[in-house]
Amino acid sequence: MIEVKDITKKFGRKKVLDGVSFTANKGEITCLIGINGVGKTTILNAIMNLTPTNSGEILIDGEKIHRETYEKITFIPDAITMLPQMRITDAMQFMKDFYHSWNQNRADELISFFKLDPNDRISSLSKGNTAKVNMLLGLALDVDYLLMDEPFSGIDIFSREQIADVFTSHLVEGRGVIITTHEISDIEHLIDKAVLLNDGVVLREFNAEEVRENEGKSIIDVMREVYQA
Amino acid sequence: MNIKINSRDPVYIQVIQYFKEQIATGVLEPGQEISSRRELANKLKINPNTAQRAYKEMEEQGLIFTEGNLPSRITKNEVIIKQVREELILEAVNTFIASVQSINVPLEEAIGLIKKNYEKNPGGQEGNQ
Amino acid sequence: MKNFWKLTNFELNRFSKIYFILIGLTLAMQTIGIVLLSSSYMSDVEEQLALGSTLEWIKISVGTFSFSSVTSSYWFGGPIVISIVSLLIYVFFIWYRDWFGKNTFIYRLLMLPTARINVFFAKATTIFLMVFGLISLQLVFILMENELLKLMVSETFREDQSLNQIIFSFDYMGVLYPTSIIQFFINYGIGFMAVFVVFTGVLFERCFRLKGILFGILFAGVALFVFISPVLLQVTILEEFFYPNEIFILMVITGLMVTTGSIWMSHYLLNKKIRV
Repeated sequence: MIEVKDITKKFGRKKVLDGVSFTANKGEITCLIGINGVGKTTILNAIMNLTPTNSGEILIDGEKIHRETYEKITFIPDAITMLPQMRITDAMQFMKDFYHSWNQNRADELISFFKLDPNDRISSLSKGNTAKVNMLLGLALDVDYLLMDEPFSGIDIFSREQIADVFTSHLVEGRGVIITTHEISDIEHLIDKAVLLNDGVVLREFNAEEVRENEGKSIIDVMREVYQA
Repeated sequence: MNIKINSRDPVYIQVIQYFKEQIATGVLEPGQEISSRRELANKLKINPNTAQRAYKEMEEQGLIFTEGNLPSRITKNEVIIKQVREELILEAVNTFIASVQSINVPLEEAIGLIKKNYEKNPGGQEGNQ
Repeated sequence: MKNFWKLTNFELNRFSKIYFILIGLTLAMQTIGIVLLSSSYMSDVEEQLALGSTLEWIKISVGTFSFSSVTSSYWFGGPIVISIVSLLIYVFFIWYRDWFGKNTFIYRLLMLPTARINVFFAKATTIFLMVFGLISLQLVFILMENELLKLMVSETFREDQSLNQIIFSFDYMGVLYPTSIIQFFINYGIGFMAVFVVFTGVLFERCFRLKGILFGILFAGVALFVFISPVLLQVTILEEFFYPNEIFILMVITGLMVTTGSIWMSHYLLNKKIRV
């Protein structure tokens, strides 16, 4: 389980996160929802220790992040984390060199699933294919937790569908996923849990299926209620 | 699989409903193997945990059964299949009654209209919606 | 440790293109320099011969030709200065390139399952290896160029020099090729200490951005103060209290303090304060 406990973060005088708490379970897809600039990316960066927080605590399976943790949690930012001049195969080799949890079979499987050519240079890829390579580099790690920042934004509809397919496949099965989005409709039926954010605070954290069952509301209904209140 | 999932009803209930319709109309035959929960999740673009929950619920209701590690199958129990069919019919009739009652249509008129229009609906005989 | 070497190897590869260009440039410019300078010298000589001057007279009026005639020219020193400036810029750029541009490689580097200080050491080692690589290649080039010179200028007018003599005749570049082992350790020790301090300064800027520039400069100032504090003491309060070799030992100690402090501070910044 990933536990985010009361974290605050200031950029200068501006509070970007103001006491954010939520949990994300293994085996579930947790979605951080909010308009752009609401602190979603900052939360993911904070979980990965890529940015300092001013207070609060983040635990991954009960532990603070340390170097070994990067073998069991990974982050797929919204831009690719490899050098543009590398070919896809170089990028995979880099991952293989540094991570024990790299699973080459799964990487090969993803190459064919996404219909990528390993000899292509990253700089020559389309936006959609760049996003797919970025996904591949994270998904081919045998990690328990995957964080993804806006995996659907700014790419074509077919790439979006392909990436959405990943969530219902064995590639994600059993892992804990935290995904951020400002546009829920693509993945409304894919997520277990929604965390609604605004202005650096969590407005509501709920289980999507429970809300449908107990309140007869869709995620968008709840968002309308929460954001327009 | 043509099923349109709406976002307000629990997804697992919609999945069960879908299976009930397939069983009632005989598209899914008694004893027929069904997709694994992952295949189902993938086909319907739904969360695998939800698919899992739907299967569990159907198993408890006796709509499907699983032997050992084999894929799940549709029940062979005629009684259950009959019940599912009756349940669906009753549900549809109740919906219909509720709608016509809300606009004060007398029973005779309603029956007359049903008889007149039932044959016209081309898709109706197939049992699909 | 294995990850450190992998990272170093990776960093070396990333700079290799520019590095080979620098090597190529050095070799090309110095070769051209020798050819141009020696042929112009030889044409002067031939002019004098045509006028019927004696060899002795030519040696006095035109002068003899030695490798030092080349090393004092821009053809020789230019590429060395270009290489030094490039490496100095790269001391900064080796960090900034991970943050800037479309790719955000710093995410990957910070998410590696290895101590983050290894990234720091790998970048530092890369700079050190590049520096040593260039200065040792330059020695090899000097030997090759000296042979070329012998082909260009006839023995009569040539004043042959050994490698030692050539290096000894460097003035401003003498700092690159110290003639004693102690001097070597002093020059390069100070150089590498400076690289560590600059790295820490860059990390300050990367952690705190605008404010970080101030912190970085402050850190560098404190580092400099600590390092030269024995000398400061000597010339102010303690007036000629230490023997020169005591000053030397004290400065080795303060130098080590600055280096460790720099590494420790970088370790802290990379783990607690860095942001992507």
